[in-house]
Amino acid sequence: MSLEKEQKVVDLIKVSFEDAEAEIQRERRVKVKVAPNRVFPLVAYLKGNGFKHFVAISAVDWIRDGEIELVYHLWNYDEKVHVMIKTRVPRDGGSMPTLKPLFNQAETYERDIHEFFGVHFEGNEKLDREFILEDWDGPPPMRKDFDTRLFSAEFYDQEDLESEALRLKIQPYKGHLKK
Amino acid sequence: MNGKNEIIREFEYFIGPQHPGITGNFSIKLKAKGDVILEAEARPGYLHRGFEKLMEQRHWIKNVPMVCRICVPDPDPNEVLYAMGVEELAGLEVPERAQWIRVMVLEMSRIQAHLSYLGGISGALGLYTAPQWMTGDRDYLLDRFEELTGARVYHIYTTPGGVRRDLPEGFEDRLRETLDYIEKRLTDYYRLIFDNPVFQKRTIGVGTMDPDWAIENGVTGPNLRACGIKADVRIDDPYLVYDQIEFEVPTETGCDMFSRAMIRFQEIQQSINIVRQVLDRMPKGPFLNKPGNPLMWRVPAGDVYVRVESSKGEFGYYIVSDGGVKPYRVHVRGPSMTHGIHVIETLLVGQRVADVSPIMFSLDICPPDIDR
Amino acid sequence: MTKAKPPKGLKGWAQGRSLWMLHFCTGCGAIEMPPTMTSRYDMERFGITPMATPRQADLLLITGYLTVKTLKRVIRSYEQMPEPKYVVGFGSCTVNGGMYWDSYNTIKRLDLYLPIDLYIAGCMPRPEAIIDGFTELIEGIKKGKFDGWIRYKENLEYYKRNQAMVMDIRKWSLDAELAERIWNEVQEERRKRFERATVKHVYELAERIPEGLPK
Repeated sequence: MSLEKEQKVVDLIKVSFEDAEAEIQRERRVKVKVAPNRVFPLVAYLKGNGFKHFVAISAVDWIRDGEIELVYHLWNYDEKVHVMIKTRVPRDGGSMPTLKPLFNQAETYERDIHEFFGVHFEGNEKLDREFILEDWDGPPPMRKDFDTRLFSAEFYDQEDLESEALRLKIQPYKGHLKK
Repeated sequence: MNGKNEIIREFEYFIGPQHPGITGNFSIKLKAKGDVILEAEARPGYLHRGFEKLMEQRHWIKNVPMVCRICVPDPDPNEVLYAMGVEELAGLEVPERAQWIRVMVLEMSRIQAHLSYLGGISGALGLYTAPQWMTGDRDYLLDRFEELTGARVYHIYTTPGGVRRDLPEGFEDRLRETLDYIEKRLTDYYRLIFDNPVFQKRTIGVGTMDPDWAIENGVTGPNLRACGIKADVRIDDPYLVYDQIEFEVPTETGCDMFSRAMIRFQEIQQSINIVRQVLDRMPKGPFLNKPGNPLMWRVPAGDVYVRVESSKGEFGYYIVSDGGVKPYRVHVRGPSMTHGIHVIETLLVGQRVADVSPIMFSLDICPPDIDR
Repeated sequence: MTKAKPPKGLKGWAQGRSLWMLHFCTGCGAIEMPPTMTSRYDMERFGITPMATPRQADLLLITGYLTVKTLKRVIRSYEQMPEPKYVVGFGSCTVNGGMYWDSYNTIKRLDLYLPIDLYIAGCMPRPEAIIDGFTELIEGIKKGKFDGWIRYKENLEYYKRNQAMVMDIRKWSLDAELAERIWNEVQEERRKRFERATVKHVYELAERIPEGLPK
């Protein structure tokens, strides 16, 4: 199995971005690690070189390192290569420049990550608007230190509500069970 | 008309969340002058269950019943994606037969999703015969699913390592019969929908997008092919055994609602052909390579991005493992995340209020995969 | 004052034979509604037909899990419906949370927030199960067995209190005064509960083998 086109992409990145660590993961997949401030120029550079499809931004909370990893996925329709650009920002007060000037739909993913991981994206005007959660006061829920089981058990606690329902004799209709 | 005597005022419309169409709870806030939309704002979030978080709480195998719930109308790509990602991380071999069965399930799922799409869009335009026929015919396919997997909608059939069970006896013949029936009906559908002057009038030239704009704004799948761009994950980034199967990727050049519906219509025929090829050429052999005790099974550390072509566009999973018994992180990239927020906000501007629901439908937006 | 009673006799029969269902499908269950409504199963032969606006509907169908965001809209819609009105919970996730028992964004037991008349279990229920549920409902309505909206009215404070524990009821209730009062009353408990629920969780090492399993 030849990995020529993947190697070409790695070389393409290495030419202009010496500090980037690029490697071939497998056929049609290339991984790049860069510093947060180099993401915008790298994505712009790749966009100019045929990576026209902005797939998504993924976020991973590496709580033991105190960092959140952002993974930018790009796809090239002509060469058929997928590039993952990885960068890490601190968990507390982490901030990234927005990619909206390059790809409009990056805004949506940034709003999503802002809401679920608490990463700030500079220049994204819609960041303050509620996206998926409504009236949420808790910590960003996808972070590792948010315990969904505890939250579910405590916040949607039913035991005292159920006993109150028994006292008031409000139970769902059960008559249809006995014919 | 000067501004003073103008009687048409600006309005704010709230569409949804009571199912604008039958796609799922989703709402759009519109600012319109009279009947013409000036501004649209998509508001998702009515179906957010926190799947990505829940998947971190469960063992690798226990997530299989979860993932199909991510996209309700077309659940199978999710199962296959999750299984493919986990297999790639774990280095688990999938038996040849299981790969062919997966292709069959994916294409059956595509046919039923497209049937409900065509029924939905014609229903949204007031042609009520089409939804009756198509939902009814789709049900015959769901019967085959039920026979194969035990469930009509959520199949929980593909697991890491293969598929849960082999084809039942006589299944192939019955599936062929169902496919013949659906194929025979395609002519009727064509006459009913695409020959209909009402449908043509309402869809041709409505909701258009520029091909270059579409690529840069993350439009994928049938919606992109309706702009004349031949991009299909099955060809570009082949998975399973798609590189051994012959099929065409239909494209249209209209870039409008009509083309988007037409693409789906043609894809039904292609999917029928694929399923027939699978039935002809499927090898015999084992169908499941069991990964071991599901509660103890560890997947080596690493990360992987896998994608498939779902009926709505490119579906992708980014899976990270830290070597534990549970996934460290699973990120779901649904096709509707771009179609349903940014693309629709742009497409609706300048359209009429009555076209909102058909345009939403024509993009095949699936709100559960935006909200996850 | 006489106690309100659900319609019976001729009135009940008429009510049962003409149910207009509010087309507010939530969650996954909605995917089984088109087959139920269309040619193969044809729900309309029971006199049930979808209706777009809550002000003309008799039947509210909750077809699946409810996120807090949707619950607000559902309650608002329910309160707008004219009496007599019936609520059917549909799918396991309305019974006890089902698959989403540990989700941070969905409610678990629907009958704590709305008066449920009938549950149809299953994930998701098949069209046959839905039709079975509906015939059950129709029979019950004819005999005047279902009195959900009366329970809701009589125990409004109880329901509002439950709702206020998970959502801001002020914007979403028709009775604004009551909502305001109850909202202020539950603030203290709500805050305590929220604090307990969002304790910073120490991330467990993934290498840890689950307890009680052979090594």
